[in-house]
Amino acid sequence: MTIGVKKVSLTRTTRDQIFLPAIFEGLLTTAKHFFKNTLTPGMGDIETIRYGDPDVDVKDYYPDRFRGVHRLMYREDGSVRCVACMCCSTVCPANCIAIEAEDRNDDREKAPLSFVIDELKCVVCGFCVEACPCDAIRMDTKEHMQPTETRAEAVLGKVDLMSRGGPSVAVQGGVSPDYRAEAPKADPRFSHDPR
Amino acid sequence: MANEIHPSATPIVAGPAPKSALTPPRAPNVPADPTPGEETVTVNIDGEDVAVRPGTNVLEAAKLVGKDICHFCYHQGLSIAASCRQCLVQIDKMPKLQPSCQVGVRPGMVVHTNSEAVLKARREMLEFTLKNHPVDCPICDKAGECTLQRHYMDHDHKLTRVDVPKIRKAKHKDIGREIVLDAERCILCSRCIRFCEEIPGTSELTMVSRGEHQSIDVHSGQRLDNAYSLNTVDVCPVGALTSKDFRFAIRAWELSKVDTTCNGCGTGCAVELHTKHEQAYRVVPREDHSVNGHWMCDEGRSTYKSLDAADRVRHATVDGEQVALPDAIAIAAKRLRGKHIAVVFSATATNEANLALAQLADLLGGERFVLGRPPGRGDEILRDRDKNPNSAGALAATGAVSKHEGELALELAGRAYEAVIVLADSGELSEVSLGGLRGITSVCLADRHTPLADACTILLPAASWAEVLGSYTNRQGKLRSVQPAWRAEGDRKHRADLIRDLLLAMGQRDVPTARERTQRLAEAHQHRQLSRLAQDPTPARPTLLRWANSRG
Repeated sequence: MTIGVKKVSLTRTTRDQIFLPAIFEGLLTTAKHFFKNTLTPGMGDIETIRYGDPDVDVKDYYPDRFRGVHRLMYREDGSVRCVACMCCSTVCPANCIAIEAEDRNDDREKAPLSFVIDELKCVVCGFCVEACPCDAIRMDTKEHMQPTETRAEAVLGKVDLMSRGGPSVAVQGGVSPDYRAEAPKADPRFSHDPR
Repeated sequence: MANEIHPSATPIVAGPAPKSALTPPRAPNVPADPTPGEETVTVNIDGEDVAVRPGTNVLEAAKLVGKDICHFCYHQGLSIAASCRQCLVQIDKMPKLQPSCQVGVRPGMVVHTNSEAVLKARREMLEFTLKNHPVDCPICDKAGECTLQRHYMDHDHKLTRVDVPKIRKAKHKDIGREIVLDAERCILCSRCIRFCEEIPGTSELTMVSRGEHQSIDVHSGQRLDNAYSLNTVDVCPVGALTSKDFRFAIRAWELSKVDTTCNGCGTGCAVELHTKHEQAYRVVPREDHSVNGHWMCDEGRSTYKSLDAADRVRHATVDGEQVALPDAIAIAAKRLRGKHIAVVFSATATNEANLALAQLADLLGGERFVLGRPPGRGDEILRDRDKNPNSAGALAATGAVSKHEGELALELAGRAYEAVIVLADSGELSEVSLGGLRGITSVCLADRHTPLADACTILLPAASWAEVLGSYTNRQGKLRSVQPAWRAEGDRKHRADLIRDLLLAMGQRDVPTARERTQRLAEAHQHRQLSRLAQDPTPARPTLLRWANSRG
């Protein structure tokens, strides 16, 4: 098989070298779109969603897996679900999570004394959510981090993070309360039925 | 306790301390190399022949050919229980799988450690062990260095098939001064029970109940309060026994470790110092069969607390004013010259620092003393009554000590000297003696702010034991290496280098640096590892614990 070679002339014509015709062609295209989109009722072919329109909830347009500002979930009794296992701070590539653990002196034993996320450092990768074994940290707020006047305001503590949080009844190791039902059953040949 | 004495009863007596005998704890299962001419047994493990001494068990023999047989209850330093059944191997001509920890080698034995039957048994034993384990790794202090976690990842790695409730047992039960028990996490390997029986001989722990409800507990009316109790946390392959001091402090995988020597007493146990961000979190024992075996005492584990960042001396001070280190050295050198001086060596400082001070004392003359911590409790296992890591080394460096510590205190109080140089901030002097320091030229090389350091007119910032490369001489006369866990911050410097600066400021030439002194000492004692470190300190950099093997 032979491969054919197509030769293209790259020499500039006089028209190219003047530049002006090309400029006017471009301006003409821009003007055409400008008049079409401003004068046509129904906004022509604009597809931009107007941000901040009270009739439109931006969050509806975001996919479910959009990663927004973090939040911390809580248990039925209102205490934070986090057990300070440090999995999120370990996996965080930006090193933006700082947790200090404390002893709760009850059966849940361990809880975060402080839980601080520096949203300025965060790279919004979502690894912390995947690493969390307790469904404590989520990024499903669909909120962008708002600009702040000082850096300190962008550092969110446990109270800020829990104010966005909601109740979660997940058991450890799963997201739904009846994960045992989904777990593979034991082989019936080996089950010990007392009857 | 036979050797227990009141701390203030006897002062440190000047002159060579009587060497107290140390019998290193016996590790029953550590395989010794066959001596030449000795009869050996040759066994075949996974196709490889290995010759070992008779009496070695199959598990240790397999280690020699690089086969790590997974196990929970077996420990080199303890007797054999063969209760976990995790180390089962197939041996030709034996009808069933055999626990490799308990079976001794026989001539012509053919062992398979990775056959189909062995892998199946290993997997199923692991599943059985995990049946009642709560898998609360997120709140378990052992997570990250847990043997059960490691074996699960290596050999099982499956979802649970258990659909019946797990047996509930005691959680976070306070069973001793230092220890919290979580009976649910326990896999009943009995290592802790055997430890308490065999090493301190106190037998506080036992098994209670039977079958699924079996758990470890302390005997009624007793608490796990022996002086070596924290070793049970180290031998525990899971998080059933955890340390109160380390509880929830940090996750194990965040720590870095450096091999060093305990500075709690004259024994000089080989230890690892675990640190993160220039902060120490714990001290754990390291294997050294010539000194401490696998163990160390609870007292020694709290030595890391002296490294607290809050009271570190970071800059030089002269008469209460902070000055640059070279200026402070120049002032000290000027003020120390030509005075009636007391040179105070330290039993807590390294050999290098004491040798450097000896060189300064030769130049300045004056009276020589050794100051150290007051004596405490000792026993026949590891703890020494002398709570200084380097008494032997300090005394050797001093040459001749004519007066003891008590006389120093008296003479300082009576203002017998015009100048004093103190090598380290440890040691207790009375208020009156400290008052005596304030009036005269007193130079202290301190890493921490202590009453002694703060009473001196010139304070030079010295690096602590976690920041220097150096050596101690323990009570057996062995050279023990100290390695840096982090770079000394601020103006802090090795004590030997500070004294070197002083000597140079006094016009001396060719004063060896701390590293040169370390190397000379290491070569004199044929301590090859320390000698290598002194030439190239790179290997002394801490390793992240997550890359090290699991402990326990």
